[in-house]
Amino acid sequence: MDIGELKKQSDLSYDIAVAKRNALEKAHSRLVVVYNEHIFRADAETICLVRTLKETADRFFVLDTNQNPVEITDPAGFLQTLIERNQEAISSYHQMSKTFGKRGD
Amino acid sequence: MTKGVLLFCFDTAEVQYHRILERCVSLIKRNLQLEITVVTNFETFKQLKPLGFINYKFIEPELGNTKNGAEWRNVDRHMAYELSPYDVTLVMDIDYFPFTNNLRQFLNTDYDFLVSKDAHDLTNVGSFNMRKWSMIDMVWATVLIFKKGPNARRVFDTVKYVKQYYHYFNEMYRIRANNFRNDYAFAIALQQANGFATYDTMPLSIATLPPRCRVIKMTNTGIAWQYDDHINYTEHQDVHVLNKELVDV
Repeated sequence: MDIGELKKQSDLSYDIAVAKRNALEKAHSRLVVVYNEHIFRADAETICLVRTLKETADRFFVLDTNQNPVEITDPAGFLQTLIERNQEAISSYHQMSKTFGKRGD
Repeated sequence: MTKGVLLFCFDTAEVQYHRILERCVSLIKRNLQLEITVVTNFETFKQLKPLGFINYKFIEPELGNTKNGAEWRNVDRHMAYELSPYDVTLVMDIDYFPFTNNLRQFLNTDYDFLVSKDAHDLTNVGSFNMRKWSMIDMVWATVLIFKKGPNARRVFDTVKYVKQYYHYFNEMYRIRANNFRNDYAFAIALQQANGFATYDTMPLSIATLPPRCRVIKMTNTGIAWQYDDHINYTEHQDVHVLNKELVDV
């Protein structure tokens, strides 16, 4: 490999790394969801917590992104909202990630 | 409860901000679908193409602030509370382009005042580590949401006070920039009004293209840019553009 080809590959890798970082940040922005007038992240941790609490009680309390307590009175609806938003964001990230490999073709 | 977007737009000798506003309004209508009020002056208003149903409020902008040697008409943000006709207001810089409806949901919270503390540099250069330039965490007044009431009123009253004695606060917090920045004025006001303790924030990292980054294409769904010899793009992601040459794209 000559130095020109190496530079080309390096630049391409850099562009892909930046694109991936931006796509991930975009997904993180989309994971933020407002429910019951409070702000949550529809991430794996929140989904797992809500699912676990839902198995033990019909009503429970969780913390929002500002560490304020929120009473959840409809666990199924909340969980559904979290999962929908999570999959929307990650699915979009997945679509974007498929284009990374095509760059430079 | 009424909800809407409040924008400030004043042309300067260097930048035709009204052209940036036209793009921003188009995206707000398309993606946020909220009523819009534009705070402007008559000279800028005359340059605007018809934008459909928009409310206008005319003021004479306070002059005297500069950025990189050019006139910067950014000093009137502290009047957002009085100028907004809405119960819940989303105040946005006109160079913040909402390619998604992400912001709309924040008008439905029980928070009285929300602002973001973080920015994401889309060029990956890491231009926005602002903490080292002052003794206070900066907020990004690019996007802020407030609900009219005593708490939001207190924040804006404090911003007015900070603005009045900005030179003093600037020295006290050892802020490197000498010009007036809303980001610092709001950061200082929020800290002062909240007893020097923490305050609630919007958990968004504002995706931003730094000033040295050139926008090469902009559509209804996304934006492409060039930084050094790298070209990149994003779609369906809100973007704050700091290079005002985008009016020529």
